[in-house]
Amino acid sequence: MNIRVPGTVMRERRLEATISYTLLALSAAFALFPVMWMLSTSLKSEAEALSLPIRWIPQSPTFDAYVEMWTLKPFGIYFWNSTIVSGLTALLSTALGALAGYGFSRFQFRGRTSLLAFFLATQMISGVLVIGPYFQLLAAVELYNTLTGLIIAYVTICLPFAAWMSKGYFDSIPKELDESGLVDGASRFQIFCRIVMPIAVPGTVSTLLFGFLLAWQDLLWALCLISIDEKRTVTLGVAFTVGEFIIKWPMLTAASLIGSLPTIILYLFLQRFYVEGLARGAVKG
Amino acid sequence: MASGRTWHDRHFGYLFVLPATLMLAAVLVFPAFMTLKLSLTPEGGKGWTFTLSHYQKAFRDPVLLQTFKNTFVFVAWSLAGHLTVGLALALALNQALPGQTFFRLVALIPWTIPDVVAGIIYRWVLNPIHGCLNPLIQMVFPAFPAEFQWLSSPTLAFPSLIFANVWRGYPLVMVMLLAGLMAIPRDLYEAAEVDGAGRFKRFIHVTIPGLRTIIIIALALDMVWEFRRFALVLTMTGGGPGTLTEVLSTLVYKTYFQFFTFEYASAMAILMSAVLFILSLPYIFLVGRER
Repeated sequence: MNIRVPGTVMRERRLEATISYTLLALSAAFALFPVMWMLSTSLKSEAEALSLPIRWIPQSPTFDAYVEMWTLKPFGIYFWNSTIVSGLTALLSTALGALAGYGFSRFQFRGRTSLLAFFLATQMISGVLVIGPYFQLLAAVELYNTLTGLIIAYVTICLPFAAWMSKGYFDSIPKELDESGLVDGASRFQIFCRIVMPIAVPGTVSTLLFGFLLAWQDLLWALCLISIDEKRTVTLGVAFTVGEFIIKWPMLTAASLIGSLPTIILYLFLQRFYVEGLARGAVKG
Repeated sequence: MASGRTWHDRHFGYLFVLPATLMLAAVLVFPAFMTLKLSLTPEGGKGWTFTLSHYQKAFRDPVLLQTFKNTFVFVAWSLAGHLTVGLALALALNQALPGQTFFRLVALIPWTIPDVVAGIIYRWVLNPIHGCLNPLIQMVFPAFPAEFQWLSSPTLAFPSLIFANVWRGYPLVMVMLLAGLMAIPRDLYEAAEVDGAGRFKRFIHVTIPGLRTIIIIALALDMVWEFRRFALVLTMTGGGPGTLTEVLSTLVYKTYFQFFTFEYASAMAILMSAVLFILSLPYIFLVGRER
């Protein structure tokens, strides 16, 4: 038996808490330091950003950089494009993924297991393996330089995740509901749309978020499939700004921060659903 | 009743999975085969003439071999960093201390930043003249050279890139491990305590075995992601100085879209995918066995 004096336990607890807090404080500094430096730069004038020695905190904070990014550069258009692309990617990949997930969950058709494995395997495909021919395909059907071509690619990339996630969710909804629908004379598609899907709405949060974030954060596909300014997404706009001969750091950092804002907000509000879904999806395979 | 319904059900099952299957086939699988075909086509060749010359060239290409090595080093150090930081933070965050939610949200921040932006942040932090890292180091070590060029240094450019990638990627491993920690039943710890196991023994005999599967899964998924990491490398170093920080995805991209040697780029992409597939085989077997 292990009998311990209460004082020892208290001391041990306190030591553990101290170690944890030190670790957490260090990690908070590690996580935030680069972001804070960016925030500080975005609030400086160009002259102050380049003044030496460097200033940690802007002496005369200004929002000029935040104004410039909308006026000197078409970031308004980039944002609009990113919003359209990410929003539609989220909706379409969730809808098509749910359709497939329902099919996998409810029907024992021939080749089902192989098809499930196929969905999983496509997740291993690297973007650079397929993007060249996909680019040629888009050019052939005149979808090069369109948001449509970009959305089709993003939706497809999200589909395996969306299908697996929603299959898991549908598996947890009792089949008796479907049966009762059949008894009432509803078609399979009506059962999916009117009975099962409404119950599965909480399960779609993680797939919606996955699609939106993937499309918002991607660079590779947008870089290869978009070459005209008015179709650029935010990440592409930011990437091109950093490639310019003279970099206006306050404007670039301001644009980067604003460009990250939607994803930061979404993650922080919805991370619980996302993480649960991810952990469940990962454990299930 | 049963037989008619079963046929009907099957029929509908295909309809439900059809749209997604078609899209995957058209956007991912068909182009992958096109790449395979292109990798076997003579340069500028058309139709069905085949050659292995691009693969022969690839095995003798010092830049490609260097890039393979770079990618392995990049993946290995990134995984080590993600696991170390992720596990330490998951353990610290799993203690229900006051303020825990705040720290968890802050620890997630790097994950919310797009790769492009992460690359830009670190370029600016490491900027030799106007960046903040050099002055910060000089505050502690006054002898540190002024205007030190991190990203042009042949020895330190790559470690800088890996550092940025550790920063960018640890939160995902952390949340997966945190979910794993929460799933370990409390009574296992209590039973171990009754048996006289101290903190360290409980960590070794309860926590680590309880996390084993999730650690393997997290590292396997992370490996696939880090192997394909693109935007961070492109915006932070662009593969430079020279090709010292080039990774496979940036090399394939440049060969295809900047140098327009499509056939050779395709061969490189096929080799890259083959290696990634071989590396992930143990994971596929593991998941298959546990199902």
